[in-house]
Amino acid sequence: MALVHTWTGLVLGWLLFAMFATGTSAYFQDEITRWMQPEVTGTADPVASAQGAVRFLQRTAPDASFWFLTLPNGRSATTQAFWYPGTGTSGQTEAVLDESGREVTVRQTNGGYFLYRFHFDLHYLPVLWARYLVGIAAMFMLVAILSGVITHKKIFVDFFMLRFGKGQRSWLDAHNVTAVLALPFHLMITFTGLVTLAAMYMPWGILANYASPDTFQSAVFGDPPAAERSGRNVPLADLAPLMRKASAQWGGREVGVVRINNPGDETATIALTRGPGEAMGSRGEVMVFDGTSGRQTGGSLPQGAALKTESVMIGLHSGRFAQIALRWLYFLSGLAGTAMVGTGLVLWTVKRRQRLPDPERPHFGFRLVEKLNIATIAGLGCAIPSYFLANRLLPTGMAARADWEIHTMFLVWLGVLIWALLRPAARAWLEALRLAALLFAAVPLVNAFTTSRGLPVSLMRGDWLFVAFDMVMLSLAAAFALAAARLAARQRKASAGRTMGREKAVRA
Amino acid sequence: MNTRAGKVRKGIGKGNLAARLLAAVPANYALSSLAAACVARALAHGLAVSAPEASMAATLLSFAIFAVLALAAFGMRSVVRLWLWMLVSGAVMGGYLWFSLTTGGRL
Repeated sequence: MALVHTWTGLVLGWLLFAMFATGTSAYFQDEITRWMQPEVTGTADPVASAQGAVRFLQRTAPDASFWFLTLPNGRSATTQAFWYPGTGTSGQTEAVLDESGREVTVRQTNGGYFLYRFHFDLHYLPVLWARYLVGIAAMFMLVAILSGVITHKKIFVDFFMLRFGKGQRSWLDAHNVTAVLALPFHLMITFTGLVTLAAMYMPWGILANYASPDTFQSAVFGDPPAAERSGRNVPLADLAPLMRKASAQWGGREVGVVRINNPGDETATIALTRGPGEAMGSRGEVMVFDGTSGRQTGGSLPQGAALKTESVMIGLHSGRFAQIALRWLYFLSGLAGTAMVGTGLVLWTVKRRQRLPDPERPHFGFRLVEKLNIATIAGLGCAIPSYFLANRLLPTGMAARADWEIHTMFLVWLGVLIWALLRPAARAWLEALRLAALLFAAVPLVNAFTTSRGLPVSLMRGDWLFVAFDMVMLSLAAAFALAAARLAARQRKASAGRTMGREKAVRA
Repeated sequence: MNTRAGKVRKGIGKGNLAARLLAAVPANYALSSLAAACVARALAHGLAVSAPEASMAATLLSFAIFAVLALAAFGMRSVVRLWLWMLVSGAVMGGYLWFSLTTGGRL
């Protein structure tokens, strides 16, 4: 069992570390987006935003096969619009819109949404491949957690034995503490994560009863598959009365997502989904309307035990229902998960270093793991603040700006990987950790110089979102600096020990 | 403690390890898929649960089945016993699924 835990943990640990870190940030994705759009302030009304978005899309993509709108809620102020362009329209397929339907063109950014998508779609990879890769990692994680509990039989006793500064023993203790402290969370988050993409990973339960997965989807959501465009233009029904009707039906809960198939055509349909933040179950109720007459034509079925379980599991995973205190708890548990994977990865090398034939010249496999650990743990620690810094430092009107924020992040990450490969591991660890601390610390500083919402101003104005963001950056900077300082102290002690050993040998 | 660990390590030799890995990943996925399909059919046709509910219940269950089988693949003492169990249960479930699909059909 120990064997399973060690090897499944290592092979996918690097990917899991990145998934845990970006997934943790996603609990604040709306807040991160707001920080990355400092020019956008205030709140937006979902109904007015939906109407504004429709006006924008009627100009930009009138013959799209569908429009998909994620409306603003209490935490966000902008609408995310996606569409599948028809023939003859421009290549644009997404936009960030304000309440009146104007595209937010200043400082284009994907904001917290990018980190959220990276959590399960990765980047620069076909989405399907990425999702299978992520699913395999999650399945291994589930097995690693269960086998981890079995491996550390005394895990709950060991929990009270956190020994600092004792080398391998401390890494093991840290690994156990971060694992046990949030064990229910880890187990929940891994299982529910698999459930979010269950139909893709395990389609056989559906295919056993349905010849096509589409039939299952329509049965559950009451939304029949889109018809072909007929070609006869009929104006789209006004969204406002439909949204009010849906809200009333759902006991005052607001519409979160609007999907319009064949907009502007006589075959148009409008599907309204309840906002995911409005209740624990994330598979919100759906109401489907005829897109021209506005007559209701369908809607989601009342959920039985299994569908309700699935809905709540996905809700638990994404935590959109969580209010501020619970949201912070989610964030801290996510950090514990990130630390659990990180300490587990380091433990792999620490444990094996003592058993090496010559600890000064480790074999290739050991060196590779050590360098990939640096590139993953410290590397992501450099990459994430670089994403935020790029948001503040790239010219605000730059072409493909949102993409370049992301490229910047990956270029820095690649840079740390190359650096780790070229330098001796001990030096590379220290340098990369210091760089991560420096970059995190630079975020509030650069924010203060490039926007009017720096820490002193936001503190005075009570702009708590900006205060909290800057404080988290400073805390992460402190954590990386502390890690670097402790590592430096340990290395000094070790090299002093070696010198003494050599002197003794010479004297003898 | 040491001797027991030594025995377990001896138990998982190289060929043995390959057989267990094969059982833990690809064979496990096939068996979990079969189980998901059988549970979905049995609930919908045997117990008259609505089809969407039956399919979803089976899907949710299949991840737990996969995890437990993965552990069993390394936890069971005899690798021969392990494969025997997997083959027999696979054949039983496959037979039921074949029978259910040919007599019942799908939506």
